[in-house]
Parts: sequence; C-alpha cells; structure tokens
Amino acid sequence: MIGGFFKIDNIEKSFGGNKVINGFSLDVAENTLQCLVGPNGAGKTTMIDLISGRQKPDAGKVYLNGDDITGWGEHEISRKGIGRKFQIPAVLKGLSVRENLEVAYSREVNALRNMFSMRARGCAEQLDEISRQVRLTKRLDVEAGLLSHGETQWLEIGMVLMQDPAILLLDEPVAGMTENEIGLTVDILNKLKRTHTIILVEHDMGFVRKIADVVTVLHMGALLAQGSIEDIEKDERVRAVYLGTEDTH
Amino acid sequence: MIQNPYHNKTLQWLFYLVVFALLGAVPLISDDAFLLNQLAIYGVYGMLAVSISLCWGSGGILNMGQGIAFGLGAYCMAMTMQMQTQAEGTIPPFMLNNGLDALPWIWQPFQDTTTGIILALLIPTAFYLIFGGVMFTARVSGPFFAIMTLATLSAFATIFVDLQPYTNGVNGISPPGSLNLGETEIDPYSSGAYWFVFALLVACTVAAKLINQSRFGLIVRALKDDPERVRFLGYNVAIYETLVYALSGLIAAIAGCCFAVLTQYVSPAQFEVGFSISIVIWVALGGRNSLIWAMFGAFTVQGAQSYVGDQFLSTWILILGFSFILVVRFLPGGFAGLVETILGRAAKPEMGADTANLEFSDAKEVAK
Repeated sequence: MIGGFFKIDNIEKSFGGNKVINGFSLDVAENTLQCLVGPNGAGKTTMIDLISGRQKPDAGKVYLNGDDITGWGEHEISRKGIGRKFQIPAVLKGLSVRENLEVAYSREVNALRNMFSMRARGCAEQLDEISRQVRLTKRLDVEAGLLSHGETQWLEIGMVLMQDPAILLLDEPVAGMTENEIGLTVDILNKLKRTHTIILVEHDMGFVRKIADVVTVLHMGALLAQGSIEDIEKDERVRAVYLGTEDTH
Repeated sequence: MIQNPYHNKTLQWLFYLVVFALLGAVPLISDDAFLLNQLAIYGVYGMLAVSISLCWGSGGILNMGQGIAFGLGAYCMAMTMQMQTQAEGTIPPFMLNNGLDALPWIWQPFQDTTTGIILALLIPTAFYLIFGGVMFTARVSGPFFAIMTLATLSAFATIFVDLQPYTNGVNGISPPGSLNLGETEIDPYSSGAYWFVFALLVACTVAAKLINQSRFGLIVRALKDDPERVRFLGYNVAIYETLVYALSGLIAAIAGCCFAVLTQYVSPAQFEVGFSISIVIWVALGGRNSLIWAMFGAFTVQGAQSYVGDQFLSTWILILGFSFILVVRFLPGGFAGLVETILGRAAKPEMGADTANLEFSDAKEVAK
C-alpha cells in the first residue's frame, strides 16, 4: 500500500553513464513547503524534471495520491495537479500578460471544446485576483517579452497560481529579485502553503530560513539530510559538503 | 490607455465587412465573363493564403506542402465532374487509351456527386490528420516539419504522374462539362461561379478568424511561442498542432475543389513544389499574422504576375524572389506589420494631445 500524499521512491537517472540521481526517496506531506537544497550539480533541477515528466526516470517510482505517475507525459502530470515554474523564467513572450495568465488557466484542456469557447468560465475573476497578488494589474496589456526580469518572475508565479495545482514545483523563484520583491514572495508563499503543497529548489539559505517547513539536502543525487532548518544548519555533513564550501559569510 | 486601432476587434470585423462587401459587389460592376473567372481564381488563391496564415501565422507551423490538400481536393473534384459527364457504364476516354476496360475501384465512389464532394474534403483532411498526428506526436517541428511537407508533396507529384491509367499522368484530367449541383449548373464563366467561390472564401476566412479568437486559437498562439511551457500547463500540444494543421488542410481542400470547378482542369502542376512555396511567399508579403492581409498578399502577387509579370517573362520570378528578401529583411510582419506600425503611430500623437490637455486643465485649476 502506498501511503502519503506525494512520494518519490528510490528514483534513479543517468545521463550518458553518469548517475545524476542515485536512489533518491522523498515523502511530502500535504500543505507543507519542502525546500530542496544542495550544492551546484547535486541534481535538484533534474529532480524537478523527473517529477514533472520532462525526464523519465531509469528506475524508481513517483506517486501522487496513491497513483503511480512515473513515466506519464508532461501534460498528463500537469492535469493530475502538479504545476511547475522554471529556473529560467518561461513565459510566452509573444503574448500579452493577460493572455499568458489566460492560457495558464487550464481548467479545460480539450482542444475541440476550446474551439467553441471564447472565454473560460471563472477566468476573469481569477485573473483579477492573481494579477493583483503578483502586482501586474497595470501591465496586463503589455507584451510579456517586454517585461523586466523581476516582472517576468512574477508573471510566471502568477501563471502557476492561475493553474492552481495541488503541488507547485518552484525552481529558484526568487533568482534576480530585489530584497523587496523577495519579501513579497515570502508573503505569497507563506499564504499559499496553507492550501497547497510546495516543493521549492533554492540556493539562498536566507530565503529558505523564512519559508521552509522541511528542508531536504541533496548531494551527488542522493539524500544527505532532512529535517527542520535548525537541524540542517547544525548537521556536520551538510556543513562539510554545502555550507562549508558555498556559504562563506 | 490608447489602443492601437489595428488591435481593436470591432474595427477588425468592420474592416472585414467593408472588404468583403466590396469583393462581393464586383459582379454588379463588371459582367466580363473572363474577368469574373479570373477574379474567382484569385479567390481560390485567397483561400490558400488564409489556410497558410492559420497554420503558419497563428500556430508557427511552416507548411511548404499545402499543395497536398489543394491537389487532392482538386483531383477528387475533377474526378466527380468527369463522372457527371460519363454516360452510364462508360469510362473516361483517357483510360481506354491506357488499356483499362472498366472503371477502377478508386474511381467508383466519384460516380455519385455528393459522395465525390464529401471525399474531396475528407481525403485531404484525413491525410493531414494522420500525417500531422505522426509528425507532431514525435515532436517534429520548425524547419524539419517544413522539409517533411515538401518531401511528401514531391512524392504526391510523382505518384500522380506515375499512375497514368488512373490520373492521366502529366496531362491531368479535364472534365468536358461544368459541375452540376442538383439542377443548377455552375458555369465557371459567370457571376454565379464568382459568388459561389466568394461565399466560400468569406466562410473560410470568418471561420478561421473565429478559431483564432477562441480559447483554441489562444493556446495555438501560445504554443507557437513555447510548446514546452504550454505542455506543462496541461495541454496536449500535439493534438492542438494536428488540429490546426488539419483545419488549414480543409480550407486548402475547399480551395482545390473551387479551382477544379473554375478551370475544369487538374494536373500534377497542382502538386508542384514551386506553387506551394509561392503560397508561403504571398502570405509572408501580406503578413502571416493576419488572415485578411495574407489574402491581400495573394491578390497582390498573383495580380501583379498576371498584369505586370507577363512583360517580364522569366525575370518575374527574380523580382518576386527579391521582393521576398526585402520583406523578410525590412518588413518581417509583411504589409500587415507596416499597417500596424502606421496605425500605432497615428494613435500616439492623440495620446500626447490628451495628456497636454490634461496638464492645461490642471494648470487652469491651479490658476483659479
């Protein structure tokens, strides 16, 4: 019996004979914010790719709500309720901010039914609400390709919110943001984790400290340590491989 | 905020209305049978341009083999028309010359006009669904897809030449009579035929525009930008791509049917690579992101070719190629892009005037 809400079981992935993920397992409880940290090359983004279906694992299983979703297509995993924000913000540059958010409101994905629908039900209200949250109300008619880097990050966060998935995979959501903007992100994430499960990849320990319920340290594609931020910061092995080499201040 | 009038949906539909009203009125002005037939053929080219604008402009699927659907539609229609003129139990004369003594099975369904017309639309569309489905699920895209369409088109040309007993090879099929729909005969040199083609052109363009404005159209435009991102939002990108490609094929098939009706002739020339590429050139010149401007592109290039091109003979193709290079380099949005920029500029000074007025009235307020 597969228990739990979201579970990764002994997953493995190699690229050209090089084992990037080496028997990694993870159990995520509902409505928690789980941070995935680790030095460069630890396999964090690969993990996100494996969960969201961009890469297929060589061995191991991924379960959501007890269903085996290993090897499913990207769109199927997304429909099952896993939304993703990319490391390099991926917005639809040729479309306006409003259109980006409308596309992300993917309640109806059937192509034929969408052909006979001019606008999705409930989309306008949701769009109002979320554009306010991510502070893009005044930029709705701007082409997304013209946004600043910070705004682009916000837009992609907004897109994931429009999608409203059960699990949000966020790959370095605050990269390139100002202190002020990071503060705002912390607020949004802290509010969001009451109703959503979030798996977040991050380098910045200061940011992790402000939001994480559980921290998982990944090293050489395997689990090194897991626990609250205080436990992790005390852990000798973590200090050796990660904090000792990377966090010098 | 002042919007560029080019992007105003109401104005766009108004523009469609004016353009189509003018085009529809042509037979009231002229009753020159030859001219009407020629303009109706331009309408066919307009449909082809609309079909390419739909899949290339909206969906970013560069299709250099639109002749596949066009040719298949035209052949099926010509076969239907040929069978309408055959007396019971006889077979087309070219088959006798090629040593056949009974109607081949592939010609049988075209003995019935309704079945023939249905097949003329169904066969090309079904082919596009299968071909597109195979390509897009394998995530073939961009130049690779364009090359596949081109190769497939050449294959069709070869097959239709080679199957001489069934297609009359390079000579093609020229049905001796015009198409009869029930009791009505569609004389290709008449205002009736012009309006027939015109109505289909309007229907195709309006349908394509409605599709572009639907949620389907929005998602298609999104996947042109970044198919990967759209996939992660839960959409099955391959289905969207296949459908928009097949819809553009359906429009090209309708164009093919009209072409056969208007010219009473079909040959492997309809599968010529050069012709399919020139459709892409019309659309690039007119502006691939706009259905109606893509149609104008077809009118402009084909019109220029008929009236100016004859004087230049083979130099014409050089002129066409050179203007294509100019447009790609200086007007990536085609004529439509130019109009968009001009209208955008025209709307801006107004905005300047508005703010100036505002400041002025503010100043008055202060003065009081």
